[in-house]
Amino acid sequence: MELTEALHNNRYTIVDKWVVYTLATYQATDFLNKEKDRFANPIGSTIRTSLKTLFQLLLKGGDGAGYAEPLSQIMHLRSVQEFTPSQAVAPLNAVKHIARDILAADKQTKDLVKDLYDFEFAVDLAVLAAFDLYMQCREKVYRIRIAEIKSGAAILTDSACPSKALKNIRKINE
Amino acid sequence: MAVAKLEQLSQSVVQGPSLATGAIPTKDWMDIPVVFKPGNYAFPAKKDKVEYLNSQSGLHFPNARDWSPEDDDWQLPENWKEIIINGLRERLEKFRSLKIFMDCCVRCGACADKCHFFLGTGDPKNMPVLRAELLRSVYRNDFTLAGKVLGRLAGAREVTPEVIKEWFMYSYQCTECRRCSAFCPYGIDTAEVTIVIRELLHLLGIGINWILEPVSNSNRTGNHMGLQPHTFKDNVEFLADDIENLTGVRINPTFNRKGAEVLFITPSADVFAEPGLYTAMGYLILFEHIGLDYTWSTYASEGGNFGLFTNNESMKKLNAKMYAEAKRLGVKWILGGECGHMWRVVHQYMDTMNGPADFLEVPKSPITGTVFHNAASTKMTHISEFTADLFKHNKIKVDKSRNDYLNVTFHDSCNPARAMGLLEEPRYVLKHVVNNYHEMPENTIREQTFCCGSGTGLNTDEIMELRMRSGLPRANAVKYVEEKHGVNMLSCVCAIDRATLTSLMSYWNPNVGVCGISELVGNAIVLDGENRAELDEGLRTLL
Repeated sequence: MELTEALHNNRYTIVDKWVVYTLATYQATDFLNKEKDRFANPIGSTIRTSLKTLFQLLLKGGDGAGYAEPLSQIMHLRSVQEFTPSQAVAPLNAVKHIARDILAADKQTKDLVKDLYDFEFAVDLAVLAAFDLYMQCREKVYRIRIAEIKSGAAILTDSACPSKALKNIRKINE
Repeated sequence: MAVAKLEQLSQSVVQGPSLATGAIPTKDWMDIPVVFKPGNYAFPAKKDKVEYLNSQSGLHFPNARDWSPEDDDWQLPENWKEIIINGLRERLEKFRSLKIFMDCCVRCGACADKCHFFLGTGDPKNMPVLRAELLRSVYRNDFTLAGKVLGRLAGAREVTPEVIKEWFMYSYQCTECRRCSAFCPYGIDTAEVTIVIRELLHLLGIGINWILEPVSNSNRTGNHMGLQPHTFKDNVEFLADDIENLTGVRINPTFNRKGAEVLFITPSADVFAEPGLYTAMGYLILFEHIGLDYTWSTYASEGGNFGLFTNNESMKKLNAKMYAEAKRLGVKWILGGECGHMWRVVHQYMDTMNGPADFLEVPKSPITGTVFHNAASTKMTHISEFTADLFKHNKIKVDKSRNDYLNVTFHDSCNPARAMGLLEEPRYVLKHVVNNYHEMPENTIREQTFCCGSGTGLNTDEIMELRMRSGLPRANAVKYVEEKHGVNMLSCVCAIDRATLTSLMSYWNPNVGVCGISELVGNAIVLDGENRAELDEGLRTLL
C-alpha cells in the first residue's frame, strides 16, 4: 500500500482526531464536538469543515495553493479568540502526530511512517500560511478599530460635552 | 513516541490553565478566577463622569474613583460587602421578578448553548445559566436557608472581591439580547439578571465609560453625542441638502415646533454617523412624500437610552425626557425611528416607570386613519409599523428597481424582535421596496435572531476582538446567504446594529454592507417633482 492511499483510507479517523484535538483547546469541548447544526455551533462546524477540506489538500501536496481558503476560516476564528499566536496555529501541527500515530499503530501501514516527509512538509507550509493569515486577521481588526474611530463613533465618549466646554471657558475667564 | 510528542505540542503552547491543554478544566467554575487583560474588558468610567451623574437629581452613582480592571486592588469602598448585600436585598424586595428568577431556575440547560457569547468564545461562564449563577450563588448564600446551612453543597458562595471581578467580566459579556430567555421553559428574563448585576456594580462605582459618558451626555444635552441644539439641527439640514442634490427636491424639516401632530424621535447616530445617515435621509424623504405634520426635537434628540444598561433610575430619567418633550410641544403622539433598545424600554418598562402617557392620544395615522391600538398606553409607534400601514393602503409611490443593485437580507434586531414582537412589519416593508430578498436560516432570525454582539453599550473599540467573536453566530448566518444567494446588504432596524454590524461585516463578510430599512424605502420612493440622476448606489451615491 502506498502512503497516500493509506492516509486516504484513514482520512475519517485522522480528521476526526484532528477536530477533537483542535476543539479541545476550547473549554466547552463537549458541546463544540456534539452539536452538528452549523448555525447553532459555528466554531465546531467551521473547524470541522475547514480541517476536512485542508486534509484533502495536504494529501495532494504541491505548493500549498488552495490552503488559504480553509485556513482563513480557521484563522478568522482563532485570531479573535483568547489565544496567543502560537496557541492559535498550534493545532494545525497536530495532524502530523495524529497521522504518524495512526499509521504506526496498524501492522499494514507502520512501514509507511518513514515516507511521511512530504506530507509533513505540506503541513509545515500550511502552518506558515496560517501564521500569515493570523497576522492579516489581527491587522484587519486594527483597521476596523481605526475605521470606527474615524467614522465618528468615538465622539460618543471623546467629545467635549457643551456644558463641559462652557465650564472650561468659565475657567479661562476666571 | 508520536503520542508523547503530541502531548508535548499541547504543553508547549500552554500559557493559561485552560487553553490548548486538550482537557476540560478539572476545577469547579467557582474556583476559576477571571483574568483581565487588554482587549477583554471595556474601559472603566471616568471619575468625573461618575461624580457628575451622582450629583444629578434622581440618579445614584456613588463611589467614583480612578481604577483599572487590571489592578489587583479595585479600591472597593470599605463597606462594599454590606452595600452589595443590602443592594441585593432592596432589589429582591422591589422587583418580584428578580426573586422569582433567583428561585425558579432548575438548571435544565435549555439556555446554555443559545448565547452568542458562549457560541463565539466557548467559555462556559457565558452560558446564560452559569452567568446567572454568578449572582444566584450569592443570593443562595445570604437569602436562602439551604444556602446558609449547606453552603457550597447547595451552590452557595460568599461574595468576595473575586466574585465582584467575575460579575464585571461576565455582566459585560452579555448584551441583554434575551435570546436565551426565548428558550427558557420558565421564561426567566436573563437580561434582567445582567441588569441587576450591573446595578449592584454601580453601587460600588464600577461601570464602563462607553455607557456612562453617553448617559451623562444625554442627561445634559439630550443625546449620546452631546450635540447641541444648533448642531443637531444643522446635521439634519445637511441631510436635506444631500437629498436635494440627489433628487432635486428641497425638504425643510422643522424643529421643536409646537402644535405639530407628531413628534419624531430616533437615535442621534442616525443624524450623525454612517450608515445611519442614509436611514435618516430615508425618514425625511418618506415624511415629505406623505406630507406628515411632524417635528424633530433638539431636546428629545435621542431615541437610545443607555440608562437601561446602568440602572433603573437613569433609564427612567432618560425615558421621561421623550414624554416631557411631547407634552411641552403639545403633539398628539410620538413616532419612533429605527432604534433597538429604545423599544425595549418603551414597550416593557415605560408604562411602569413614567406611564401611562395620558396627555397624548392613541397614535392614529393621519394618512390612512389606522389607529395603532397596540400603542394605546405608550402612545408611541414604530416607523416600520407606520410604513407598513402606508404600504398596505397604497399611500407610497415607489420604484423598486432603484434597489436592484442590492441583494438584501434582514437582521431582526434583538429588542424590536424579542421585546416588542416586531417581526412581520419590516419584512412587509422590504417586500414593497426590494426585488432581491433572501432570509437567513430559520434558527438565526425572528425570535431566535442572533445579536450583533455589541449591544448594551459594548460597541466600544477597545473590545473589538470580543465583539468579533460574540458576533460570530450572526456573521456566520450572513455568510451562508451571501454564498448561497449572493446577498450583499444586511438590513436592520437598530442604530447600534447599523454601526456595529458594519464592523462585524468588515471582518467576517467584507462584501456585505449594512443599512436601515428606511434607507431602502427612501431610495425607492418617487417624490413629486423630483429630478433624480442615475444613482448607482442609491442615497449613498456621491455626485
